[in-house]
Amino acid sequence: MTTEYINICLADDDEDDRLFFTEAFDELRINTKVQTFNDGVALMDYLNDDDSILPNVLFLDLNMPRKNGVECLLEIKQNEKLNDIAIAIYSTSSSEDHIEETFINGANIYIKKPNDFEKLKKILSEIVTINWQYHTSGLNKENFLMRM
Amino acid sequence: MKQFQVHKSPLFLKITFVISVAIIFFIGGITFKHITVLKKSATYVNNSYEVNIELERLISYIKDAETGQRGYLLSNDDEFLKPYYNSTALIKESYKRVEFLTSGSRTQQSNLKKLRYFINKRQNYLSKSLHLMKRNEFDEKTFRTNLIIGKQTMDSIRFKMEEMIITQNNLLKNRQIDYTATMNYTPIFIYLTLIVTLILITIAFIKMNRDLVVLKETIRTLSIAIEASKLSEIVGSFGSWQLNLETNEYTFSDNEYRLLGCEPQSFKASKEEYLKFVHPDDLDFVIESTKNAVHDSNLPPFTYRVVRKDGVIRYFKGMGQVVHTSDENKTYVGTTRDITEEVKSKILIEERNRELESNNKELTAFNYIASHDLQEPLRKIETFLSRLITKDFANLSTAGQQYVGSIQKSTNRMRILIEDLLQFSRTNKIENIFEEKDLNCLLENAKQELVQIIEDKKAIIESNHLPTLAVIPFQIQQLFINLIGNSLKYSKADIAPIININYSQIIDVDEEFLPKNNNKYHKITFDDNGIGFEQEYAKKIFILFNRLHNKNEYDGTGIGLAICKKIIDNHKGFIFAKGVLGEGSTFIIYLPVA
Repeated sequence: MTTEYINICLADDDEDDRLFFTEAFDELRINTKVQTFNDGVALMDYLNDDDSILPNVLFLDLNMPRKNGVECLLEIKQNEKLNDIAIAIYSTSSSEDHIEETFINGANIYIKKPNDFEKLKKILSEIVTINWQYHTSGLNKENFLMRM
Repeated sequence: MKQFQVHKSPLFLKITFVISVAIIFFIGGITFKHITVLKKSATYVNNSYEVNIELERLISYIKDAETGQRGYLLSNDDEFLKPYYNSTALIKESYKRVEFLTSGSRTQQSNLKKLRYFINKRQNYLSKSLHLMKRNEFDEKTFRTNLIIGKQTMDSIRFKMEEMIITQNNLLKNRQIDYTATMNYTPIFIYLTLIVTLILITIAFIKMNRDLVVLKETIRTLSIAIEASKLSEIVGSFGSWQLNLETNEYTFSDNEYRLLGCEPQSFKASKEEYLKFVHPDDLDFVIESTKNAVHDSNLPPFTYRVVRKDGVIRYFKGMGQVVHTSDENKTYVGTTRDITEEVKSKILIEERNRELESNNKELTAFNYIASHDLQEPLRKIETFLSRLITKDFANLSTAGQQYVGSIQKSTNRMRILIEDLLQFSRTNKIENIFEEKDLNCLLENAKQELVQIIEDKKAIIESNHLPTLAVIPFQIQQLFINLIGNSLKYSKADIAPIININYSQIIDVDEEFLPKNNNKYHKITFDDNGIGFEQEYAKKIFILFNRLHNKNEYDGTGIGLAICKKIIDNHKGFIFAKGVLGEGSTFIIYLPVA
């Protein structure tokens, strides 16, 4: 076992989706540490704690109670310490409005939650292996929405 | 045109009048001058005759003196001397008269002086002879000499008198010639000018007569127009008012009174009286609106309320403008229209519109949320199903495995339905933003979306160059996806689909399906070699949830083409389908050229 982990966080209020998410990473043979949060408030508390290990990739659901995905996104992008975290929007919706809004506010990629577990695994494996620096420099509205 | 004629003729009549008066003055002057000339000429004739008669008289007095003297010399009788003495005074008197009568002519005066000399000389010799005779001092010789000189002097007198008469006659003759010359052309001249005057007056009369006819006709037309306007005021429920800007007097039409619920002309027309009817809340506004009207010569339309005599509140719309009449007078003309019904129906329509809009918004929101939230549990079912199949499929009975397969098919179909519904509700959105977009780019995106199925079916899609248009980009992209997707879906099982996309710009009159208004359109056709359809269904396929095939054969939802229709409607274009069963179908879209 290598000690090089990819730290991954997910904020999603849906219990089933959190389950699918962790199970998919369990089945993928990638060294990852996955942490999940029930809502935006729990996520931000963790991120703002100085003792926390910051994630390499953060998955954000949009529709959450207390603090939704867009609010989290805005907070993170305004915070210099958290600025470099790659953010993947992870939502049921694929509405133009949501895509537009999150793109403008600095998310790195937009994933529509797939309806097949195998597809989910494929997407997640692709995302954690992306060279974010390279991806971000060539980011535009066309390739922002991840197509499978 | 007729009115113009009437406007012009007063000038003509004025000119004719002035010319006529001038001519009459002229004729009067000429006539006066000629009558004076005639009078003068008569005086001259008279004068000449009198001169002649007086000269004759003068000579006869001299002869009388001579005869008397001769009688005395012969008879030495004093009785004969009487006429001699008398004649001296008579000669003097007669001479004075001649002198007076010829005072106008210098020749005659000088002649007269010479005559006087001879008369004096003759009288001297007469008195000398008489004197000698009375004293008995004269001898034969002296007497003779005296007689001879007396005779010579008498001859000179006669000669001088004759000369004077001739001169007088010549003078008369010359004057007569002069005046005849003047008098000859006078009647013709007067006659001619008289004729010209007559002609002018006749023309003026004809003109006046004609103007009168035009005026009568105009008055008739005007009175008909007035009646017509009264009638139309009643039918159109509007009234009119006039303000004479010279006299500051108002006139209201009959219907203006009726609009206020009053009998026509039941009160004196004035601004103050009218303002009494204006709704108290609108009074300031009306006063403000009409304040500058007189200076601006135009009163733009404005709406206000009045309280009718019977207390009913009505909405009026007023406007006015300055009219210049032919006599340079300025009159403010305005109309008032009762627009209560219009206002009421407008308010009603606005209300309905608001209701409709909010209903529509609610529906769209409902549609969107429903389809969006429905996706959530469905996705879960599908994901759990995929977990079940990969993990525990082998543990299920054969029947159980079949059931799972059926569940998977149904959920799949449901997902497509929900996605299509979502798509459809999105095309319903009110705020659509048009952007200049290269359609080739949108087509490429559409193909990218369908890349999997294109590869699977080994489809060939060919297109010529598409234009750049102002469109709602994501909708046109969706249109392309749906149309190509449709062709791919209804392709023949054993033949690779070929889709031809062609663009051209056309005029509607050349197209069989379009309304003929001479408008230009962008035409894009999608031809395929698929299963086609019967032409009788060509219109039906664009209706929501309308399907031509059983869902077991082809898994359509009946939404895709309805979305296409909606998108084309949003772009104010047209979409038509042509099909031949077993040979293929053609979809034609027309987008208006901006």
